[in-house]
Amino acid sequence: MEGAAAGGKGTVTPFASMFPVNEAQKAAKRVGEKIGEKQKELVCIKEFVTENTNLINLVSRLPDELNHDIMVPFGKAAFFPGRLIHTNEFMVLLGDGYYAERTAKQTVEILTRRGKALDSQVESLMANMKDLKAEASFFDVTASEAAEGLVEIREDYVEENSWEKHSKSGKTLAFYTNINFSFHDADEKNNDKKVAFEDDEYARIMSRLDELEKEELEAEDEEVDAEDDDESAVEQPDAADNDDESDMDEQTEAAESNSENHDNTQPKAKFNQFPHQIHPEIREPLQQTTAKALSNKYLPQQNITDTSNVLMQTPKSGFHSSKAFTGSIAESADTVSTNSGQQAVTSSQASVPAFDSSKGIIGSIVERADTIPKNSQQQAATSSQASKPAFDSSKAFTGSVVERTYNLPTSGQDAVSSQSSSSQPSKPVSRFKMRRS
Amino acid sequence: MCLLTLFITDIAKNHQVRKKYTIQLGENELVLKELDLLNEGANVYKLIGPVLVKQDLAEANANVSKRIEYISAELKRLDGTLQDLEEKQNSEKDAIFKLQQRIQSFQAGKAKA
Repeated sequence: MEGAAAGGKGTVTPFASMFPVNEAQKAAKRVGEKIGEKQKELVCIKEFVTENTNLINLVSRLPDELNHDIMVPFGKAAFFPGRLIHTNEFMVLLGDGYYAERTAKQTVEILTRRGKALDSQVESLMANMKDLKAEASFFDVTASEAAEGLVEIREDYVEENSWEKHSKSGKTLAFYTNINFSFHDADEKNNDKKVAFEDDEYARIMSRLDELEKEELEAEDEEVDAEDDDESAVEQPDAADNDDESDMDEQTEAAESNSENHDNTQPKAKFNQFPHQIHPEIREPLQQTTAKALSNKYLPQQNITDTSNVLMQTPKSGFHSSKAFTGSIAESADTVSTNSGQQAVTSSQASVPAFDSSKGIIGSIVERADTIPKNSQQQAATSSQASKPAFDSSKAFTGSVVERTYNLPTSGQDAVSSQSSSSQPSKPVSRFKMRRS
Repeated sequence: MCLLTLFITDIAKNHQVRKKYTIQLGENELVLKELDLLNEGANVYKLIGPVLVKQDLAEANANVSKRIEYISAELKRLDGTLQDLEEKQNSEKDAIFKLQQRIQSFQAGKAKA
């Protein structure tokens, strides 16, 4: 859209240069003349048709009587009384000087055949005129558009390079599309979740979560010391770049509402696969080329991919667990990017009540609660909600502390999740509308 | 330029003749169809000048077929000539365009000097 236009990849040509106004008008006039000609022809043929039907009527009526008293034309101006005999004998002109002797009935047959031929001619003429009219309207529109100074923008669409091109030409656009995909993905997963929440699956997820929790706790113990350093490295720029992110979050929210719409139309699980496959590829160029705001966003993502192999710092463990969580649910997702992970978390908040009711996975909830701040921090920056600052401040310190604090009150998380989840649906709608208008 | 106008009038004339022939072809096809539909004993006449001359049905049929053949051949020939004429016209147009360009460049050069 704007990004693509700003990229300068396409060409902009004024309409007037391609189709000069007077030329277009001339063409329109010429087509109009042609239409007039055809109209005349059509009128002529229609006349023939009516004549033909009249003749058929006459011929079919003539043999009703043995003879008819008529006025016979004599020369140009005179008539004399006469009588028509042999009312059932006709000399029918077949065309080209050939005549045939026919009875009235046979004559009517010939005439009806002729009528059919005329009808087909009328039809073809009508179709012809329709085409010409379309042409004329096109020329008219072109002429008026050229006069108005419309421009044509052409841009080649290259499927393979599109990601790179976006990341180079329009960062925001790249991010937008990126997020769009991941949101879509997350929503799909959410859907899947809702659908697939059967008992056995639930048990499997729980066991998997327990495993992950154990692993995480071990990792936590090991790396408590390294926490603070890493924390500051990740979190502070995050807070500093809130302004930058506000733009993107607007887009993400819009994208979310978009993807919500999409969800109904594309519920197929196949579409899920694409973002996963695409993400690893684009992650590198994006990190290299895009600005700090983006790289900052992608920093945790990188860490996530790391933690999938080796469990690292605790602050990221929340992410990791969420990733694993969504991964285990999606089953197919082997490389879930942070974006989708984050979004999956936020979207899973909608279905959190199901988790919360079963206290067995408190740990996992806690960890997700850890990730909520990260998300909600970004969203809070844009939506500037009164309830968020507490989160931001707590988030600014350490993830582990936060994690622990939210370990105890499960109901508090509910409030949090309800906040974040409730704030999301209401906001994007209005934003989206604003963007639309 | 004179040649070009000649071509244009030729093409226009050709178009007219073509139109006439196509109409005749349609008419003859119609006649043939009707003649085919006539039964064996029907009387067929041909208008020659002011009189109707009685003709054999088979003969009339053959005549009309022959005529259609002739007209088709004629139409084909006309198409060929039309194409030829249009080619000539285009080449002539190109030549004229080039000449005009040369004149323009020449004039521009003159104006500069």
